[in-house]
Amino acid sequence: MTRFSRAIFTALLVVALGALAFLTLRQKNFSPADGGAPGGTLRALLRDEPRTFNRYLRSALNVEELLAQLMHERLIRVNRATDQLEPRLAEKWTAEEDGLTYTLTLRQGTTFSDGTPFTSADVLFAFEAVYSNAANSAIGTAMTLNGKRLDVTAPDPSTVRIRFPSPFGPGLRILDGLPILARHALEPALKAGTFEQAWGLTTPGSAMPVLGPFILEAYQPGRTLMLARNPRYWRRDDAGRSLPYLDRIAFEIVADMNAEVLRLESGATDLIFSDVRPEDYASLKRLEDQGRVDLADAGVSLDPPMFWINLNPASKADDPRRAWLQSLEFRRGISHAIDRDAVIRTVYLGAAVPAYGPVTEGNKTWYVADLPRYAYDPAAARAQFAALGLEDANGDGLLEDKAGRPVRFSVLTNRGNTIRERTVAMLQEQLRKVGVVLDITALDPAGVIKGILSGAYDAVYFGTEQSSTDPANNLDFWISSGGFHVWHLGQKAAATEWEALIDDLMRQQMATTNLAERQRLFAEAQRVLAENIPVIYVAAPRITVAKSPRLLNTMPVPLRPPVLWNADILAVRSGGAS
Amino acid sequence: MARTLIRRVFRRLGFATLLVLLVSSSALVLARLAPGDTTDAFDARTPEQIAEDRRRLGLDLPLHEVYGQWLARLIRLDLGTSLKYQRPVSELVGERSANTALLASTALALATVVGLPLGVFTASRRRGLIPPLVRAGSVAALSAPPLLTSLALVLLAARTGWLPIGGIGTVWHLVIPALALALPAMGTLERLQAGALSETLHERFMVAAVARGVPDRSLLWRHAFRASLAPVLGVYAIIVASLFSGSFAVEIVTSWPGLGRLMFDALIARDIHLVAGCAVAGSCFLAAGSLAADAALAWADPRTGEAS
Amino acid sequence: MTLGRGAGAILVALWIVAGIFAPFLSPNPPTMQFELPYAPPMRPHVIDADGGLHAPFVYPVRIGNLLERRYEIDRSRRVPLSWLRDGRLATTTDPAAPLLILGADAIGRDVFARLLHGARASLGVALVACLLSLVAGTLIGAAAGYAGGLVDEAFMGVADFLIILPTIYVVLALRAVMPLVLEPWQVFWLLTILLGAVGWPFVARPVRAIVAVESRREYVEAARATGAGPVRIVVRHLAPAAASAIATQVTLLLPAFVLAEATLSFVGLGFVDPTPSWGSMLMDAGRNVRALADFPWLLAPAGALIIFVLGLHVAAAEAGQIRSTLGRGRYHVTD
Repeated sequence: MTRFSRAIFTALLVVALGALAFLTLRQKNFSPADGGAPGGTLRALLRDEPRTFNRYLRSALNVEELLAQLMHERLIRVNRATDQLEPRLAEKWTAEEDGLTYTLTLRQGTTFSDGTPFTSADVLFAFEAVYSNAANSAIGTAMTLNGKRLDVTAPDPSTVRIRFPSPFGPGLRILDGLPILARHALEPALKAGTFEQAWGLTTPGSAMPVLGPFILEAYQPGRTLMLARNPRYWRRDDAGRSLPYLDRIAFEIVADMNAEVLRLESGATDLIFSDVRPEDYASLKRLEDQGRVDLADAGVSLDPPMFWINLNPASKADDPRRAWLQSLEFRRGISHAIDRDAVIRTVYLGAAVPAYGPVTEGNKTWYVADLPRYAYDPAAARAQFAALGLEDANGDGLLEDKAGRPVRFSVLTNRGNTIRERTVAMLQEQLRKVGVVLDITALDPAGVIKGILSGAYDAVYFGTEQSSTDPANNLDFWISSGGFHVWHLGQKAAATEWEALIDDLMRQQMATTNLAERQRLFAEAQRVLAENIPVIYVAAPRITVAKSPRLLNTMPVPLRPPVLWNADILAVRSGGAS
Repeated sequence: MARTLIRRVFRRLGFATLLVLLVSSSALVLARLAPGDTTDAFDARTPEQIAEDRRRLGLDLPLHEVYGQWLARLIRLDLGTSLKYQRPVSELVGERSANTALLASTALALATVVGLPLGVFTASRRRGLIPPLVRAGSVAALSAPPLLTSLALVLLAARTGWLPIGGIGTVWHLVIPALALALPAMGTLERLQAGALSETLHERFMVAAVARGVPDRSLLWRHAFRASLAPVLGVYAIIVASLFSGSFAVEIVTSWPGLGRLMFDALIARDIHLVAGCAVAGSCFLAAGSLAADAALAWADPRTGEAS
Repeated sequence: MTLGRGAGAILVALWIVAGIFAPFLSPNPPTMQFELPYAPPMRPHVIDADGGLHAPFVYPVRIGNLLERRYEIDRSRRVPLSWLRDGRLATTTDPAAPLLILGADAIGRDVFARLLHGARASLGVALVACLLSLVAGTLIGAAAGYAGGLVDEAFMGVADFLIILPTIYVVLALRAVMPLVLEPWQVFWLLTILLGAVGWPFVARPVRAIVAVESRREYVEAARATGAGPVRIVVRHLAPAAASAIATQVTLLLPAFVLAEATLSFVGLGFVDPTPSWGSMLMDAGRNVRALADFPWLLAPAGALIIFVLGLHVAAAEAGQIRSTLGRGRYHVTD
């Protein structure tokens, strides 16, 4: 090799290495602002099928909410990662002195996917539709304060004025729950009384103009659902490129968690529907080490599963166990008997934190660390039981009440949820150690819900998912007349003093617009709840999200949907499978 | 002869229709009696909204009226609307039945083509290492839960990348679910065939055939096999039924959009019209399977035909 | 048969003995939760890491990484086995180092102990339900096949109805009228009766097919000519002809019944914790595809079931051989 050719070779090498370094650096600097490579298909999974594409109707399935977030736009969004309000269709807004009225300025030049301009009339229609009897909509109920509706007017095509019937703490956060659907496509159906059938599952995407980042392209029930990029979506990235980056989201409908994980493993999907189960972590970690899967910690779940005893006096009126079963000491004793760390180490394989209340540390704005806790302490548990006269009189290691009846109650849980079934099996063993017999009744989910609603049960271990961090959106749980005040449903007036106190605190915090004051009031409500522990919490899982490395720009959150909430800026690495 | 045959066919069809009606009626009634209904949920609806939902879906009606309405629609071949999917039941059931029929018939063909000859093999060959191995394999196949079999196959496919691991589309998508479903049926048929054949081989007419000097192979296939088919065909209807009950786990794991999954989802959602619709489809399949098996039985052993 | 005479009966007896003596044979109580989720199976040793000879002992396992479920064997410590202590054949006295012959399940329970105890519930239900199906199925099937005509079609219609009727609906509706808490013995009898009730058609159908054929045979005609009544003909001549088919059918029903318990438990009729059963153990393992690759010991009940059913098959085949030898003898005599 001559010196000359060696020089050329070296130069080429330097150039090549430089280019490589440049490309690598670009890859590293990839950020939402940068945008990355537009185009490509994101392959994802749906666990259930939608019942309708009309989000204003009563349905409230996870999958319907997910599709609404992908296809429709809201006036204002709560950023799931920062918990802050973000302008969307409303460009800016001002609050008036009375704390009740807000004026929103709509974004100019925004059009639906069919080219129809978006105006304030669409917003008025949205409220009209969700408040209408035809929709019978859960959104409509959520947009109602103490039975009164919001007063919405449109002074001109680009301005909307919203007046709350009474002071409302979360203010415009409420608008995060209201997707704006096309008035020009839906109004005829609402007027004609056929709103229920409008935008059914056989409606083609072309007949459903949207404001969101994606349009329905095709839906094959039981098989696939395809969303295509909305070329008229309003949002642009910092470089001025129009969003969304993705050309397409291809959902495959898969009803089984095992099948989901295997699809991710074989590269057939980029994303699984929900978070990773603790028992899947080990094998996914191995795949991550091979560079085939990315795992991300999305933080602590906002929804710790709940264990509660039926506190409705009417449903236990003839039950001789009522004196102890519905007593505060008994609940405290149970809480003392639960070794939360053992459950976390075993059932969650360490991927959870102990929970003592409904608000977990995942909820940064509202979490209170120093609440009263009835933590694991078998001696304290026995002391609580002894105070109720529950002692082991016959020496069999199990407690009896004063009449000699065994201290025994049953817990209702749903089959098919492994984490819950295993937790209950552990609680059974832990309670047996302090002399309490827990019988497990495992039913299918509908059976459990019916049991809870009918009140014919002793205790329940159950969980729900919420999609909001703000306590004002979870009033159903806190307020004594609420529909999810599970331990004692259907109260006309607060049954106990402490429930009345919580009602009062929650109403106050809801009507306060000052955040610090709301936090103080809500912390107080949490403290009252923690002292009376109508619901005993065991653990809040850490949410791990698994995705393919080709999926970029993700910001996993512990809310649903964990990844697709910012679908408009998601991108896929080009060159991979498509 | 021809007239009695026609009469028999009509009578069998009448029985089959009655069976379909009974099964679907029972399914509807039982699903209605199960605790809970589609409107039970914890969401932000008011009691008035829930009552409105129940009224709209006809869930506030007493059982006899629900049944009466359903029956009146059934006469017009209308299966009603699914409460869960908000679509006509006949559409849903139709689409899924086609998928299930494809899967079940593939599995049945596979099980028959492999299972019956294997049964003949194990029954006629008493020496050597292979027959006991086949027998053990059959027992393993028929005692392994379908859930585990299909998971194992799917896991294998995911690890090797040889086959698509789920969904529906090409012939390759059919391989895993059909195999998972066929394995237990294959084991069952092998065991049944082997049992029936070894019984037949000991019978007197076989002894007589040997005495007449009928060659070995023809003896096995022409006489013994055909005679031994009676008990095997007698349970073919059962095998068809087991393909349906076993298909649920397989469909879930392999994401095959079939009737089993639809039926289970309907049950969990307390979607009574869909439950009944699925039962109609399922019992039609069984009735058809049973008729076909009886026809085959009449062919295999004309004496049964004359008997009834 | 390569297994040798009596092998089938031995395999079957093995599990029945295991079920009966479960508390004695298992090293730990089946409900005991050690903090060793998914711990791998342990092998008793007699030779330590340095080659020294000892009385049988185990090395305890230690969790390396909990979330990744990595276990390490602690070779620095030998935990000797204690024999015949606390009414157990072999166990360890150190609660931190239990003897887990088949490893631990998802909440750290001894799989081996649960397997043995589960044999009681699962095989108990399956065997009694099989017996019920067998008796009812044979009688009904034989009656249908012998009588023919309308009786036949009516019986077989009922059988077809029961075969296609999804049992899970029946259970779902039934469960609603039962108390929320069912004692294990109540579950046992409910399951047995239910499975027996839906299981008999599976016996009746093949029996009916065989009897329909056999009842036209000359030896039956001969018996009839000698004045034998229908009951005598069915019991003495026709039912034995169907014996092999019945035996096969029972060996098919048995595993189906064991697994059905797990399916029915989904709608609330099954054994719940703390009562172990093979069905629920398999169901729990089957929820996670990793079980097949990462902790196969959770599939032990499937292995146990296969061994049991195989034993039953071999035993049935042996019995069949003996019977057919005798049967041929009888024919020769009567001919």
